[in-house]
Amino acid sequence: MDAESRRRRLAAALRRVAGGDRAALRFVYDETAAKLLGVCLRILNDRSEAEDVLQEVYLNVWRKAVSFDESRASPITWLVAIARNRAIDRVRSGAVARLSTPIEDAAEIADPAPLATETIEAAQENRRLYSCLEELESRQGTAIRAAFIDGLTYEELAERMGVPLGTMKSWIRRGLAKLRACLER
Amino acid sequence: MSDTSKRDFEGMSLTAAEYVLGVLDAAQRRAAERRISRDAAFAREVAFWEERLGGLATAVPEVAPTPGLWSRIEAGLGRARGADQRRAGLWQSLSFWRSLAFGASALAAACLVTLIYVGAIKTPSPPLVARLDAEGGQAGFVAAVNSGGGSLTIVPATLLGAERKSLELWLIPSGGKPHSLGLIDPNRPVTVKVPKGLLRRVDDEAVLAVSLEPEGGSPTGQPTGPVIANGKLARL
Repeated sequence: MDAESRRRRLAAALRRVAGGDRAALRFVYDETAAKLLGVCLRILNDRSEAEDVLQEVYLNVWRKAVSFDESRASPITWLVAIARNRAIDRVRSGAVARLSTPIEDAAEIADPAPLATETIEAAQENRRLYSCLEELESRQGTAIRAAFIDGLTYEELAERMGVPLGTMKSWIRRGLAKLRACLER
Repeated sequence: MSDTSKRDFEGMSLTAAEYVLGVLDAAQRRAAERRISRDAAFAREVAFWEERLGGLATAVPEVAPTPGLWSRIEAGLGRARGADQRRAGLWQSLSFWRSLAFGASALAAACLVTLIYVGAIKTPSPPLVARLDAEGGQAGFVAAVNSGGGSLTIVPATLLGAERKSLELWLIPSGGKPHSLGLIDPNRPVTVKVPKGLLRRVDDEAVLAVSLEPEGGSPTGQPTGPVIANGKLARL
């Protein structure tokens, strides 16, 4: 199924979920659970925690579907935002002891650079985002991707990449400002 | 980007980007969430970054959930029933009437029944009603479109607590965006007018929802707070 028809089907299912249709929620789950679990697992680093969060995510979708606005968000980014927020809140609450990754792994977290079909799809859907990220200094882009994908605070990023906190804040803030300017061009 | 917007970026847009990126601590995140619900410009910035940065998630590999996870989710949906089932069975459902009878608003429910009854006499087509389920499948509100369709009465079915001050009622037509029908009262029946432009969209495809909003109602014209109850309109 191409990206556009998938988007339309998901949006239609979310509208039915808003009306209390369980079968529609099941459809949304079947279509997106593997993606959202991947997102949660990356942040939480713990399978059972990630599945607990995923359960909360779909209960949240069940209750919040009515506030999904197709004209403002695509269904998948709306769902990803809910999943990331839940996972990050779980981590920030201190309920999960995340294994700290040694600095030498920073390069690995830094550039997810996946191959295969997903990258092609990503390249099509997010060409603009990726080309804007390319325009940043590489360490700025690296820090921004790592922050988003692993859900790290400034402190954790600074520790992982072995730079002072102030340096990390300035990399990310300058990077975001440039990214914003590029995305609006 | 102009110089002005560059300066602005330091403040609001930066905070929105940092929130979406996930680099803020727990207290800063709560502050950002409160701001989303009362500052429309900030909420738009957050939406901008969620939509743009969200693309980075495509780089994360998928992981199949364990097979039992859906059952756990389904169990959490409580007694809430599917829309089709609800349409057929609501008014024959013993548990529905029981939940009303044992709820705090039995009297209000009796008023509503009278209202629907009177409405049914006047109108040739069956009246439109909805049961708005709260978390866990409890009936949170019941609503009925009044004869002629120009107004709608909503009645709390259970006590929600006096602290729930600003509850906003939304009509979501099939395939459309939520439209505010105004603020309602958690403790007594309220009749709201249906705006003229929406009259033809109040049908058995539309959904009613109640969200918790900042004092005075949503600042953005769209639901910003959590939805505490929702349900589909059905013909009686």
